[in-house]
Amino acid sequence: VNLEPTPEQHLLAETARAFVDRHGADAGDPWPTIADAGWPGLLVPEEHGGAGAGMAELAIVCEALGRGPISSPLIATAVLTALPLCALGTHELRERLLPGVAAGTSIGTLALLEVGMRDEWDGVQIEGGMRLAGTKVLVPWATAADLLVVAAADGLHLVEKGAQGVLIEDHDTLEGEPTASLIFDGTRSERLCTSAEGRLAVDRTLEYAAVASLAYVVGAAERALELTVQHAKDRQQFGRAVGSFQAVAHRCAEMRADIDACRYLAYQAAWALDRSLVGGALEVAAAKAYANDAIRRVFLHAHQVHGAIGFSTEYPLHELTRRAKAFELSYGSTAHHRDRLARTIGLGSHR
Amino acid sequence: MDFAFTAAEEAFRAELRAFLDAEVPDWWRGMFVDDERTMPFTRELCRTLAERGWLTMAWPPEHGGSGASVWMQAIVREEMWAREEPRGPQYMNLNYIGPLVMRFGTSEQQARFLPPMAKGEVIWTQGFSEPDAGSDLASLITRAEDRGDHFVVNGQKIWTSYADAPADWCLLLARTNSTVPKHDGISVLLVDMTTPGITVRPIDTMAGPHEFNEVFFDDVPVPRDCLLGGQDHGWDVIVAGLTFERVGIARYARAGRVIELLVEYANATGRGDDPSVRDRLADVRARYEAARLLNYRAISMQAAGEVPTIEASVARMHNTQLEQQVGHVGLELLGPMGRLRADDPLAPLEGEIDRYWTRNIPTTIAGGTLEIQKNIVAERGLGLPRAT
Repeated sequence: VNLEPTPEQHLLAETARAFVDRHGADAGDPWPTIADAGWPGLLVPEEHGGAGAGMAELAIVCEALGRGPISSPLIATAVLTALPLCALGTHELRERLLPGVAAGTSIGTLALLEVGMRDEWDGVQIEGGMRLAGTKVLVPWATAADLLVVAAADGLHLVEKGAQGVLIEDHDTLEGEPTASLIFDGTRSERLCTSAEGRLAVDRTLEYAAVASLAYVVGAAERALELTVQHAKDRQQFGRAVGSFQAVAHRCAEMRADIDACRYLAYQAAWALDRSLVGGALEVAAAKAYANDAIRRVFLHAHQVHGAIGFSTEYPLHELTRRAKAFELSYGSTAHHRDRLARTIGLGSHR
Repeated sequence: MDFAFTAAEEAFRAELRAFLDAEVPDWWRGMFVDDERTMPFTRELCRTLAERGWLTMAWPPEHGGSGASVWMQAIVREEMWAREEPRGPQYMNLNYIGPLVMRFGTSEQQARFLPPMAKGEVIWTQGFSEPDAGSDLASLITRAEDRGDHFVVNGQKIWTSYADAPADWCLLLARTNSTVPKHDGISVLLVDMTTPGITVRPIDTMAGPHEFNEVFFDDVPVPRDCLLGGQDHGWDVIVAGLTFERVGIARYARAGRVIELLVEYANATGRGDDPSVRDRLADVRARYEAARLLNYRAISMQAAGEVPTIEASVARMHNTQLEQQVGHVGLELLGPMGRLRADDPLAPLEGEIDRYWTRNIPTTIAGGTLEIQKNIVAERGLGLPRAT
């Protein structure tokens, strides 16, 4: 065991952190820089133009971006699109599409959810066959996407930019990430796999996405703690800094303890995913199950310590809070991941 | 980052497990139970561990150890704590009393005190808390008066574990100077517990008859060569000791073992598919994972030659609250049957969960309360002003 980052990981973290500090939250489109850095291709094999790195490296980058918080289609492209293409694409398809994904010249996304669905395969209904028909909702970065991986009743499909018969309607979301619904009406697509294979591929992809988004929100939570501590030092009431009251200081200490736990749970889950093609079920479920609750506690404390200013949109906390809540609602609920964890530790008859 | 133990480490763990399977008897329930076999067993086990070179494997070779890596030490702690610490009181010798003697002791003190610890033949206790000095430990008033070639100790210690084991020696905190700020007038004395003037009175607790003691010192002479570290500089010794201690106990490992027992129990009683049971047990399993990783972070820092302080307190916050939560969830799973204690033949899991819950009521108090840990994190970790 050695939880110190490798020199390469340390350098990557510093590079990503420097980019985020330089960029700020509102300074234009960060994607060209993210693409130049090769981060969309971290999980893509070198033979297809990627970095052939792993989830651990992607988590390090996501954590830095979360500090901004910086909005980008990195998880949609590097995870939700690259992983199904790597796993299911024909050699020809991989040769043709993955270099663009890895270079960030193609933005991709996964259209999984239909109204009422949760983040899992169950409930996928839209018609496949030669022509897709039906509505997908909550598709991240759909408007920007060049490649759509679409879950249909008969398996995963690929739709490329310019396909006819796709209507895009933007959502109004809590956290403000570009998200849209897609209405397919006889859209031409290429089927990547059967529904049985699709279920497995989506399940695996969502595990990666859960860890990447957790890493992102750990960065956001760390930034929230910095804001909270600074406020507790600066804000004077009753003639002294509010951070000198134990009731306030202890909330900050609990934030530190919870964020540290989430960070190492995310790193461990990333490591476990990198380690084998099928491993990591326990580590991912433990990370997501713990973090859903812990991140919520962290932001409750952040707002309570800040008082009214934290609720103001003139102050940066709200952006971090919204992303934290979006994370909690995505890639599997607490109950869902606890049930998966229960199975991996041998509880019940379906173990 | 690497979250796996090496093949050699795993092989050692397997060997240690096999050894403990053979050596730890079925009746062993940890310290503080009302069973005459307890202390003789822990003494015997420590002697056997010493013969195998496993007792002080973490110590440097010049002090009779084999300089085992911090990860090998972690494996020993996990396996021992998962079995309710069959080394009994002597884990303290290994984890921090011995290391303090190495760091602050004279060569004469090292030659005198370390070999008996390395052979597993001596029981130490610690004289820290007093009736009016708990979290505010530095306000202690037990006096050690300087009489030249010796000190004379007067005062009272309380909540002293293992004093009635009986302990052979006591790592005692006493005030040697009342004219300076409170942290600057404390010294550490190594006190022979057979010295006349020392009285030990056991205090019954919820966990059993032998957990706590009061220790009274009445004109107790302590030779000057038993002063550890500089006179009036005992606080430095104690800060170092508490830091060793915070990562010295693998509390999460026992929690992990109890969770395994609860999973087996739930399956055996047909409740493994009950969604609420799955939810509760998975929740504590996730918390266990968090606690274990934060301990591993602190150990990783030790491996890199750093001293974890904030990180040790964060790990301890997780460890102690995990233990309490696991005990609570366990009793909840057992339901009314959870009230049956170990001596009742119908007690589920031989009363283990009742015992675990009870023992962990003070886990957020002993060795620095949860609130003190949070103060450390807030002040030293986050730079917040000193809390009042």
